[in-house]
Amino acid sequence: MTWVWFVPAPLTRSPLSILALAIAIGWAVVAATAPLLAPYPPLAQNIGNTLAPPSPAHWLGTDVVGRDMLSRILYGARISMPVGIMSVALAVVLGTAIGSIAGFRGGLTDEALMRATDIMLAFPTVIMAMIITAALGPGIRDAVIAIMVAWWPFYARLVRSLVLSVREREYVEAARALGASQVRALMRHVLPNVIAPIIVVGTLDVGQAILAFASLSFLGLGPPPQTPEWGLMIATGRNYLSQWWIGTFPGLALLTLVLSFNIIGDGVRDLIDPRLRRT
Amino acid sequence: MRLAAYLARRVLLLPLLLAGVSLLSFVLSHLVPADPTAAFIGPRAAGDPEIVAAFKHEWGLDRPLPQQYAIYLWKLAHGDMGMSIATRRPVEVDLRERFPATVELAVTAMAIAVAVGLPLGILAAVHRRGPVDEAARIVSLLGVSMPVFWLGLVAIIVFYAQLGWAPAPGRLAGDVSSPRPITGLFVTDALLRGDLPTALDALKHLVLPALVLSFYSIGSITRLMRATMLDVLNEDYVRTARAKGLPRPAVIVRHAVRNAFIPVLTLMGLNFGNLLAGAVVTETVFSWPGLGQYAFQAASSLDFPAIMGVGMLIAATYLTISLLVDLTYAAIDPRVRVG
Repeated sequence: MTWVWFVPAPLTRSPLSILALAIAIGWAVVAATAPLLAPYPPLAQNIGNTLAPPSPAHWLGTDVVGRDMLSRILYGARISMPVGIMSVALAVVLGTAIGSIAGFRGGLTDEALMRATDIMLAFPTVIMAMIITAALGPGIRDAVIAIMVAWWPFYARLVRSLVLSVREREYVEAARALGASQVRALMRHVLPNVIAPIIVVGTLDVGQAILAFASLSFLGLGPPPQTPEWGLMIATGRNYLSQWWIGTFPGLALLTLVLSFNIIGDGVRDLIDPRLRRT
Repeated sequence: MRLAAYLARRVLLLPLLLAGVSLLSFVLSHLVPADPTAAFIGPRAAGDPEIVAAFKHEWGLDRPLPQQYAIYLWKLAHGDMGMSIATRRPVEVDLRERFPATVELAVTAMAIAVAVGLPLGILAAVHRRGPVDEAARIVSLLGVSMPVFWLGLVAIIVFYAQLGWAPAPGRLAGDVSSPRPITGLFVTDALLRGDLPTALDALKHLVLPALVLSFYSIGSITRLMRATMLDVLNEDYVRTARAKGLPRPAVIVRHAVRNAFIPVLTLMGLNFGNLLAGAVVTETVFSWPGLGQYAFQAASSLDFPAIMGVGMLIAATYLTISLLVDLTYAAIDPRVRVG
């Protein structure tokens, strides 16, 4: 297994993890090279050949206006993967900022921020996303903002509890005693020591974010209708129940991508927290 | 009594959190640069300043925002959630009609998830690294990775369009009238009224969407039950129970499962809130006339009173359930004495 030398050992020990890694890398390659791989342009219509079942010319069939399903699915990876990573990254940054201030300052600031977090957590994510995207007008950017706004409270809670556990350590006290400002103590001494678990949890959540984005898109709260995006394509499939390939294939693409991210996430967690290791 | 103080604090905090949720939904729906006026009266009328002014006056949209919120909160405290702009009916009337449909779906899904997830998680932990454990791993991974709306679509394609086993989407067949409401849950109501054919039809319509909706919870419950069981099985008291000669099944049921179940209970509470919200996509796929479908229609027409009503209702349900879970927690786990 020399070709995966750069991957930590526990990931390569399980065949399932290797498969997941291969699928995730495969999708990343597809996302990067979709224009080269796709047999047809994703928006090219062919009115003479609509709703065609899978065939040698169109491996996964064609859609309502004769667009090649395979090409559109390959292009879909260009949206799903970056969007998933991006929305988690934004939520992590916002959650870390708010959670670390709450945990580090304590007192009233902590109380106020944490009650605000409670309120955000109680408010249903989908409804929040609906309000945001419905109001800003549907689009990829707005769906990303919606996921960020809905998810930051989870990270804020996590970061706060981590900061609380680090804040009283001697090295932080020492830094303060040496005259370091609050901001400096937080940025230089507290945050670097809590960042690893935050990154792990964020990585675990990328699959879920891809799923959340596709759901919003499925509900029409994402990119505009013609976009080659998986959630939208599945939504179209609802109107063509006898043309099963329209809704089925984009969903399989979505499932394999999310599944591979979740399996890798499991592997990473085993690596970080050996107590939870399965093997 | 620190426990009593903690419980009192939790209970008193509930109305405050709800007020916070109402403020949040109000601010969200008003700070965003969108105007429900155009969505409601149509683009042509929106060009006429007089119609626009009259419309805004009718709905109180011409008052300052704090005043609008004060009015909203005052009415909310009296059970008045305003008029839905789209359906032109009081929001609380719409919600009362829709909520039972979602509850029926979510409760059934949770029951399925518990019935499958708990035994699967327990067996996986007991027969660690065996075939059941592998199956449990695959089930839980699939469960948390599955796009629910896609699973629903595939289920409809296979069981309705191809095989014809499942009825058309909806809560009842077209020629069956809904049972007179007692609880609002069709299967229960029809049974209570002794109307077996209606109960059967409602059940047939319920099975597929509930199975699809339960998928995520099956995954997460299986995974957590397995993990906590593994922890508990390593505890000293389990070894002691075995050492004093108690048979293995008795140890597992009486000592291990009871203790491992506590964290799973919390997850179930959290999951139930997610189920209510996750019902949005499931209901859209299965044309299920519940809260989710209502919220979706409200969002597409920028019907803010309706969206805020749904948000409030789901948040209130979620907060109440998590309060109940915490209270149960305090009751069954003597170690829990403070928050």
